[in-house]
Amino acid sequence: MYGASVDDFDLDQEENPEQLANFEARIARGEKIEPGDWMPSEYRRQLIRMISQHAHSEVVGMLPEGAWITKAPTLRRKLILIAKVQDEAGHGQYLYHAAETLGATREEMLDALLEGKAKYSSIFNYPTLTWADIGTIGWLVDGAAIMNQTMLARCSYGPYSRAMVRICMEENFHKKQGQEMVILLSQGTPDQKAMIQDAITRWWWPTLMMFGPHDSDSPNTPILQKWGIKTRSNDELRQDFINQLVPDLQALGITLPDPDLHYDDESENWITGPIDWDEFWRVIKGDGPVNKERMAARRKAHDDGLWVREALQAYAEKQAAEAMPA
Amino acid sequence: MTDTQWPRFMVFQQSELDEPFVHNGTVHAPDPEMALMNARDVYYRRPKAEAMWVVPAESIFSVTLEEQTSKEWQQEAEGAGIEKEFHVFAKFSHQGQCEQIGIVSANSHEAAMRLAIETYTDKQVLWWWVFPSDAVMASEAEDTSSMYDPSLEFDYKSQAAYPVVTMMRQIHAKGKLEE
Ligand SMILES: [Fe+2]
Ligand SMILES: [Fe+2]
Repeated sequence: MYGASVDDFDLDQEENPEQLANFEARIARGEKIEPGDWMPSEYRRQLIRMISQHAHSEVVGMLPEGAWITKAPTLRRKLILIAKVQDEAGHGQYLYHAAETLGATREEMLDALLEGKAKYSSIFNYPTLTWADIGTIGWLVDGAAIMNQTMLARCSYGPYSRAMVRICMEENFHKKQGQEMVILLSQGTPDQKAMIQDAITRWWWPTLMMFGPHDSDSPNTPILQKWGIKTRSNDELRQDFINQLVPDLQALGITLPDPDLHYDDESENWITGPIDWDEFWRVIKGDGPVNKERMAARRKAHDDGLWVREALQAYAEKQAAEAMPA
Repeated sequence: MTDTQWPRFMVFQQSELDEPFVHNGTVHAPDPEMALMNARDVYYRRPKAEAMWVVPAESIFSVTLEEQTSKEWQQEAEGAGIEKEFHVFAKFSHQGQCEQIGIVSANSHEAAMRLAIETYTDKQVLWWWVFPSDAVMASEAEDTSSMYDPSLEFDYKSQAAYPVVTMMRQIHAKGKLEE
């Protein structure tokens, strides 16, 4: 490893008030923090936690949709779905890279995921039961992710922010292809209408949970906002999402599974009934509908790829040996 | 041991032939050739690229504006190796990424860095990178069309292929899609 290369980390940096003040002033000026710059160890820790969880979510997020690639109804829909799932694989890679710039190694992140120790978005622990789920995931789940990722594209840590800019561009394709499917199904035959209604009914609440606990239950939020990692709170983002989606879904003739949903003239917000946080915590802690299947599929993919990794390694070694002067 | 991750390679992309190479991210691979293939799959699923470089992460020496004034790395600038070419990359804006600005000739990474900072004084640089040009594995010009052109045909990978704004406008106005 070379001098102060981009792989080099001084993890035991002494923290003193002057450095911290300088760091916070840089963030206040809108500067990006880059690998190599001084940063508080808590900033590094919070970012590694967030970015690695985000990376795992992209990777596990391939599974619910990947299951429908072979069952897509037309060739065009199959190509779209393959491209979307491939994008999610890429997003996982961009994000693991961003976490690596903070000193996390890819092995430890992947091991944590495969051993079931790492968290990822609770939404991917719900099953995809019909083709209408694919459109719903695109519009609702990727749409919710975009709200969060658009905010993170402005975050103070350079590599994370750049990964997000790239991801957001691709996510807009994901969201729109899903929205187009939902629109077409909602305007289709009675069976298609019933299928999309059922999908939205199942995905609506889990999607709202994607934004995370209420602000009053998010202990990390104040420090994340202070250091420019997050610029908006979970509840603010969730409210924006609800306000965007409700009028469109209603116009499509879709009923949302929430008898308390109403428009509040004063705040100009759509107000939902209470979110079932017990369900959220149950799913996060591993007891969702398909947590075990997801992890089993991930481990199987990793194990099934072992022979490819071995072959590549053997080829690289052979090439290196041949390149050596005799 | 084959189940561990391989070395990191930094990935750079050139979008048009007369434009500088720009840093995109990293891949892990057992060798530069495979790194190039992985980089294509991870970073170039969409238009448009003309060429791509992969460079072992460990051969890149970087200095942020904050580190520029530190004496630590400058003391090592008196190298005694053989002179060779180093690529110089720089980040100019906070939102930007590192891009290619030129070449210097030096006998160590630190000497190349010092020379780069002395040479390119016209713009405020936030982050400097230098690496020896012999550390670069570049995609071949003859492979450009097979590597990057296929994605030009994938119109469905662009959000522009989905007229959902128009569709929703019709539904809000008339309660249904126009024929
Ligand atoms: Fe994604
Ligand atoms: Fe996506």
